[in-house]
Amino acid sequence: MSTRKINLSMSECSNREMRLGTITSWDGSASELLKASDYEDRSAKKTDKCCGKRGRACQLCELNMPFSQETTCAHAMVACQIGNLTDCILVEHSPIGCSAQQHGLNVSMNIGLARRHKQPQTISILSTNLLENDMVFGASNKLRQTIRDAYYRYSPKAIFISMACSTAIIGEDIDSIADELQNELGIEVIPLHCEGFRSKHWSTGFDISQHGILRSIVEKNPKKKQKDLINIVQLWGTDYFSDILKPLGLRVNYLVDMASYDELKQASEALATTTFCHTLGSYMATALEEHFGVPQINAPQPYGIAATDEWLRAIAKVAGKEDIVEEYIESEHRRIQPELDALREKLKGLYGFVMTGSAYAHGLTSVLKELGVGVDGSIVFHHDPVYDSGNENQNTLKFLVDNYGDIPYFTVSKTQPFQLPAILKRSKADFVIIRHGGLATIAAKLGIPSLAMGDESIPIGYDGIIRTGKIILNIIARKRFDRILARHTELGYTDWWLSQEDPFILARHPELLDEENKSVIHTEKENKAVIHTENKAEGVKEVG
Amino acid sequence: MADNIKRTNTITHPRYGCAIGAVFSVAAIPGAVPIANCGPGCVGKQAGIITTASQGTVYPAAGNIPSVNLGENEVVFGGAKKLDTLVKSTLKIMKGDLFVILTGCSGELVGDDVDSVVRKYRNKGYNIVNASTAGFKGNNLYGHEQISIAIIDQFVGDFKGRKRKKLVNLWFETPYFDPFWRGDYSEIKRVLEGAGFEVNILFGSLSKGSESWKNIPKAAFNLLISPWVGLKTVKHLEKKYGQKYLHIPVIPIGEEATTEFLRKVVEFAGIEKSKSENFIKEEAKQYYDFIEHFSAFFSQYWFGLPSKFAVVGDSTYNTALTKFLSDQLGLVPLKNIITDNPPEKYRESIRDVYHNLTEDGLSVEPDFETDGYWIEKQLKETDFGTEIGVIFGSSWEKQLAKDKGLTLIETSAPSANEVVLNRSYVGYRGALTLIEKVYTAAMGSR
Repeated sequence: MSTRKINLSMSECSNREMRLGTITSWDGSASELLKASDYEDRSAKKTDKCCGKRGRACQLCELNMPFSQETTCAHAMVACQIGNLTDCILVEHSPIGCSAQQHGLNVSMNIGLARRHKQPQTISILSTNLLENDMVFGASNKLRQTIRDAYYRYSPKAIFISMACSTAIIGEDIDSIADELQNELGIEVIPLHCEGFRSKHWSTGFDISQHGILRSIVEKNPKKKQKDLINIVQLWGTDYFSDILKPLGLRVNYLVDMASYDELKQASEALATTTFCHTLGSYMATALEEHFGVPQINAPQPYGIAATDEWLRAIAKVAGKEDIVEEYIESEHRRIQPELDALREKLKGLYGFVMTGSAYAHGLTSVLKELGVGVDGSIVFHHDPVYDSGNENQNTLKFLVDNYGDIPYFTVSKTQPFQLPAILKRSKADFVIIRHGGLATIAAKLGIPSLAMGDESIPIGYDGIIRTGKIILNIIARKRFDRILARHTELGYTDWWLSQEDPFILARHPELLDEENKSVIHTEKENKAVIHTENKAEGVKEVG
Repeated sequence: MADNIKRTNTITHPRYGCAIGAVFSVAAIPGAVPIANCGPGCVGKQAGIITTASQGTVYPAAGNIPSVNLGENEVVFGGAKKLDTLVKSTLKIMKGDLFVILTGCSGELVGDDVDSVVRKYRNKGYNIVNASTAGFKGNNLYGHEQISIAIIDQFVGDFKGRKRKKLVNLWFETPYFDPFWRGDYSEIKRVLEGAGFEVNILFGSLSKGSESWKNIPKAAFNLLISPWVGLKTVKHLEKKYGQKYLHIPVIPIGEEATTEFLRKVVEFAGIEKSKSENFIKEEAKQYYDFIEHFSAFFSQYWFGLPSKFAVVGDSTYNTALTKFLSDQLGLVPLKNIITDNPPEKYRESIRDVYHNLTEDGLSVEPDFETDGYWIEKQLKETDFGTEIGVIFGSSWEKQLAKDKGLTLIETSAPSANEVVLNRSYVGYRGALTLIEKVYTAAMGSR
């Protein structure tokens, strides 16, 4: 027991910064970050590369910026995971604003359901809709009522409760109410401690969701083993894994979005667990391994040829298909080669820039490199110096640097658009790849088109390289739109800020803030702030 | 089990956000920069419902809004210091000439002294305002009025000069939350100018930003076109500047309503009528040329046209659409569900609109509902007959409309299936666009 990394005995899940030493603000090269992360020693809790912050966490050192822009929170991640279960209900114990993004989740859920060939359904997340009096007198009765509403209106298989900033501050006891209502209603009522102020990075919200599922839904004593079933921790993406794993005789069990109660429950019956992204999947996979005896695939993520090879080999090993896997891999290589060659020719000379979640960015960058697209910089929204597994083969950043070379400008920054002008200025990027809002609009005003990777499955596996290459060709054509945008619109930031070359200058020189502020009162006649766009806005490279 | 299903505090499928959503009202003022004193996810969540119908937002919104992103440290030790640092750096980084701090749930509960931070920077000469917008205090419409009044009190300030007879302040739809606000502001401005007014626009690209706000006290009067949002603001202005207001509860759609509206405003202002009457004459001529052409289709299209409709949405568009569709097109209102939770004191006057819909006395009873469960239950139980039925609503009605074989036209937040740039459904020109939309959608649904 003592060697276990994940503690499922508490209703609260330990924050990522505490468990893994996660950071959200850093700038340097990929190889420097790799070195500082000290994955192996950190995994063994032997590293000395700590900033010595509170508790037992060994946090990577990071840059402390005085300025910050809107991001997202763990509470929102719980909504996008638990809220997308097909037969469980999420109750958000908070004022209505904490539920304001629901219809967006309904859109992604329904697109996801269609991608997985499931019936459409309208999402049902319930808000306790708290008002001022509830902040003064407490809101437990409203929570009880909304849980009952969820039960009687929808007959769910389980009900989750999510804590918000306000309810955490006023000290709502959701654990006790969950116990009480579970006894009353006879179904699992699961508290999730995901208040937005709790963790500095939203990805803790993934862990919290999975924590609740692992504690309360996953079958603790599976009566049978499904030897052909593999868990895949995924978001809403198209089901490409079925086709990829069918030759190895495997069926997929997708967790968590759009899953049913029974699909979550059977996770402990599966042969193994893998994921499209260790940022999302490592907690679930490690807990399933440690507490339920379901091994996780000890391999890099399936992006690019080399990683997909290794990933397939690792799965084949667990599935007992080592005899056929090499032939499968070779035939896949042969199959995609002509199309890959053609794409490499068309994409020659292009540079791409990835700004997405951490481990996924490592994978995407591999795919770009595989396509012959240059990558001289990228932004990850946080960095986990180690994953929950501590598994060396899962060190995605190491795999990237070892196989595809260093990336000179590797930035860790949590969706902070104000840094983008300086960050993109030092890159040769012809296009950017994004998944989160707020960043692509800045790139567009700099004349750089964006590939919004809404379907995270696109780059997966061998075919993922081809799919991604084809999409990039379409995206590059949109540069015509961005060129016009760059000519006629402004970025909006002060000239002083736009003249800075270091996106983290204020972390290194906070004293600059105290200098006489001349750039504050502005007139309409002021110079247009498109100084960085000259080179990028002109000329659309004809490709494809 | 049926006994256990009742109206409670619960809301599902929300149709509004919370007060911190007013960051988008601030962002809609050219040159104004909102500073969110709240948790890391609050602003993004509000964007999900308020910046609806794929309108997009631009700097200083569009993901750029400065935010304290309140963390555990601030909850335990207080957030005033972090806010102070954020304000200081915002002034250095974000281009703008008016800065508005909006404090959300956490900041209010922790009890940070925001006023002292504001005072510090105001004393240094910055235009900076503090608005109380905790999510538990009210929805985004409440927040919209909170920031309006805060800017008036803390930035516009006292005024002793003369008023300009033809200058009118326009208080109208809530930016972004009303999906067609940009086009609608443009049309209302156009018709008011046509009638001889100078229009002081406070939100959107037609506004001169802080200059327009400074000009508020110079206007002869405040024109409020809205069932209830803005009443608090214009009453506040009446008290503060002795400025009278004209309240038009229903947005005019179509020639008859817009003409009546213009005559009312001209009468109220006491300006000369020849300019407005000439304008009205010319607009009417154009309008009825289109209507006459349309009538050739309308009166003899034999594959069936819509007859019955329901409107689900905020009171602003709900009242205006219901009035126009029933009174001017002869469509039959089956269900009118008002979703923006108007304060009780305004509900009687909103009901009155539905009690006097047409000149021949059509009267229906609206429902006030905020919980999607009950909204959808009511719609499910509504019999739309055998002809094409239309729901004017939000994306939440999409599946229901599909199941019932109805045509859904999204006119209210949240709208995920419309892309709106400058479309307007109000005034003279907007009415024509609305007719196009209704009949194109209905024919396309066959």
